[in-house]
Amino acid sequence: MKHTLFDLKVGEKAKVISIDIKDKAKKRHLLEMGLTRGVEVKVKKIAPMGDPIDIELRGYELCISKDDLIHISVELISS
Amino acid sequence: MKIALIGNQNSGKTTLFNLLTGMQQKVGNWPGVTIEKKVGIIRGTKHELIDLPGIYSLSPYTAEERISKEFILKEKPDLIINIVDATNLERNLYLTSELLELDIPIIIALNMIDLLEKKGIKINDRKLSEQLGTEVYRISARKGTGIKNLLSGIYTIDVKVRKHIFHKELEEKISRVQDSYFQGQKNKRFLAIKLLEECDENENREVSLIRKQIEKEYGEDIDEIIATQRYEYLDSIMQNTLIKKKRNSITDILDAIFLNKYLAFPIFAFIMCFIYYISVGVVGNIAVDFVANIISELKLILQNIFYASNVSAWINSLVIDGIVEGVGTVCEFVPQLAILFLCISFLESSGYMSRIAFLLDKSFRKLGLNGKSLIPFIVGSGCSVPGIMATRIIERNEEREKTIIFTPFIPCSAKLPMIALFSGYFFPDNAGLVSASFYFLSIIIIIISALIMKKDYRKNSYISELPDYQFPSLKYILKDVIDKVTAFLKRAGSVILICSIVIWFLLSFSPSLKYDVDIEESILAQIGKCISWIFYPILGENSWGASVSILQGLIAKEQVISSMSIIAGLGGEIENMFSNGGAFSFFNYASAYAFVAFNLFSAPCFAAITAMGKELGSKRKLIGALLFQTLIAYGIAFIIFQVGSRVI
Repeated sequence: MKHTLFDLKVGEKAKVISIDIKDKAKKRHLLEMGLTRGVEVKVKKIAPMGDPIDIELRGYELCISKDDLIHISVELISS
Repeated sequence: MKIALIGNQNSGKTTLFNLLTGMQQKVGNWPGVTIEKKVGIIRGTKHELIDLPGIYSLSPYTAEERISKEFILKEKPDLIINIVDATNLERNLYLTSELLELDIPIIIALNMIDLLEKKGIKINDRKLSEQLGTEVYRISARKGTGIKNLLSGIYTIDVKVRKHIFHKELEEKISRVQDSYFQGQKNKRFLAIKLLEECDENENREVSLIRKQIEKEYGEDIDEIIATQRYEYLDSIMQNTLIKKKRNSITDILDAIFLNKYLAFPIFAFIMCFIYYISVGVVGNIAVDFVANIISELKLILQNIFYASNVSAWINSLVIDGIVEGVGTVCEFVPQLAILFLCISFLESSGYMSRIAFLLDKSFRKLGLNGKSLIPFIVGSGCSVPGIMATRIIERNEEREKTIIFTPFIPCSAKLPMIALFSGYFFPDNAGLVSASFYFLSIIIIIISALIMKKDYRKNSYISELPDYQFPSLKYILKDVIDKVTAFLKRAGSVILICSIVIWFLLSFSPSLKYDVDIEESILAQIGKCISWIFYPILGENSWGASVSILQGLIAKEQVISSMSIIAGLGGEIENMFSNGGAFSFFNYASAYAFVAFNLFSAPCFAAITAMGKELGSKRKLIGALLFQTLIAYGIAFIIFQVGSRVI
C-alpha cells in the first residue's frame, strides 16, 4: 500500500521507497541525513499542530516538516 | 601545524575547541557571511586550530559547507580532527566518509563516550579504526577525558591507503575522471567525486555524460546513488562495530511532557515568563539600582575630591558627567546581560531550545522566520544586545539576518520608563492598556516587516535534529556567559564611553566653545534646532528639545526621558514638562503616542547597533538595517500622528 511519511501515526514503522522532492538541495540534505531508499524509519513524536514530525532512523531522531513529508513515499512495516 | 576541527552540529565540537584552546581564541566571521569563525592555539603547543562550521556533509548547497570545503582545498590543513558523536555514530560518519576521500591526515575524536553506557551502546573502536583506516580516540569533551591521548595522536600520523567504498561500476567511473582531470594532484579522489556530482552540463560535457551513464545504469540520480552507497558501506561498519541495547530513554519520557499536545505551549509560556520576570523584573530592579547607586556614590566621592583640590569646573564635569556617567551606563547593562546570557545558554545546552523550534516552526515559517526566532525576541524584551547575539542559534542566514533586524523592535527594559511616563500622563485612566498596546504594536510591525521581506521562491522547510536532553555543564555555561559579557564590554563599552563623552561635550559647550551655558545655547541644541523640522510631521511642532532627546536615546534609551527632564529645566516633577509653559507642552495624545512609537522602533542604542554590526558582519547590511528600522519607525509615527490628530 502506498503511503507517504506524513500519513504515519506515532509508533508506526515504515521503509522508505522514494523521495520525490524537486529541490535538489533539500533532497540531498535528506539523503545525507540518512533517508535513503530502503531505510527503516519510525515515527516518534508529532508536534501539537501536526507539523513537523520527529522520526527515528539509523539510531537517531530527525525532525521534518509536512512540506517534505508528503513527498516521501514509504511502505508500512507491520509491527 | 595548521589543524582543522570538523564535525556535525551538536557533536560537542565547540566544547572540544574550547577545551583545546582555552583562552587563546580569536573569534570573527568567515568573509562575506554571518557565520562565526574561530581560530585558536592548542594549549601547550604552537599549533593553530581552526574551528570549521558544524556541517553534515561537504555538499555545495549551504554556506557552511562551501566555506568548509573551500578552506580544506585552499588552505590545505596539515591535519583534520574529525569529531564524531558516538551516540549518533552512523550519521556522523557520513561526513567522515567524505573526508576520507582527501589526501589529508585525519584522526577521529569519538566524543560523548560518557553517555554510551547510559544509552546501552557498545562500540568496538579498534574494529572501527580498522574499518575506517584511521586512528580513533575515545573522548568526552564534557568531562575532559581522553584529551591527552587525542593530542598525542596529532603527531603519529601519516596518510594510510584509503578504502574505495563504492560499487565497482561507480569506482571505475571515478577513476576515469580522476585520471583525466586530476592526475598527480593532491586530493584527486575527492575532487573527482565532487566533479562527477556537481559539474555543470554546459561547463563540462564529458563528465556530465559519464554522470548520465551512471544514472541510467542505476535508475536514480547521482545524489541518491552516492548517498545510498555511502550508507551501505556505513551500515556494514555499524554491524561490525556497534551493539545497541533497547533502552528506556529519559529524553522520550521528558518529551512526552514537553511536546505534549496540551502541555507543550503552557509549559513554554511559563518558561518564557520566568525568563522575562527574572531579567526585567528582579534583575531589572535590584541589580540595575545597585549599580546605579555605586555610580552615584563614586560621583559624590569624586565631587568632594575635586572640590577640595580646586579643580577647574569643566574637568570636574568632564570626569563626573562625561566619563563616569558613560562608564555607569555601560555597567548598568551588565547584570541584565549576564542573566539573559545565562538563560539562553541553559536553554541551548539542555536541549530544550530545539523543542521550542519544533513547537513554533510551523507558524514562524509562514513569516519566513524560524521557530527559534522567538528566543531573541523574548530575550530582547529585557535587552536587545543579548537578544541580537542570541540569533546565532538560528542556522539559516536569511532567517538569522531578519531576526537580527526585528529584535530591536521589541521594547527593551530601557524603553519602559518612556512608555510608562507618556502612558501615565496622557492616558491616565488607561495607562496599563496603552503601555501594553506598544508591545502589541511591535509584534504587528514585526509581522508586517517579516512579510515584506519574505522571499517566496524557495519554500523554507524544517529539517533538524532533536538532541537528547542533558544536564548542562555549569563550567561550560559560565565560560559562555563570561565570554559574551566580555565581548560586549570590549566592543560596545568603548563605543558607549566615547559617545557619552562626545554628547557631554556637545551639551556643555556653546558653538563659541564657552563652557557652562544654558542647555539651549549648547552645540547639541543648535544641532537639534537644525534637524527639528524632520520631526515636525510626527510631532506637529518644531521642537529642538524633542530632537535632542531622540539623539540622546542613541546612547541608551533611558536617556530620552532624562534628557527631556534636563531640557525642561527642573529637578521637580517630570510631569510638569507637559503642562502649560513647560518645554514640552505642545504634546497632545497623538504626538505623544507617535513620539514614543518613533523612539521604540527607530535605530536602537549604540550597544545594540554594535551588536547588530557584529552579527550582520558587514557595514553595508548594518546601514541597511538601521535605515529600514528608522524608516518604518518614521512611517508608523507619521500615520499615528496624522490620523490621531484628526480623530481626537
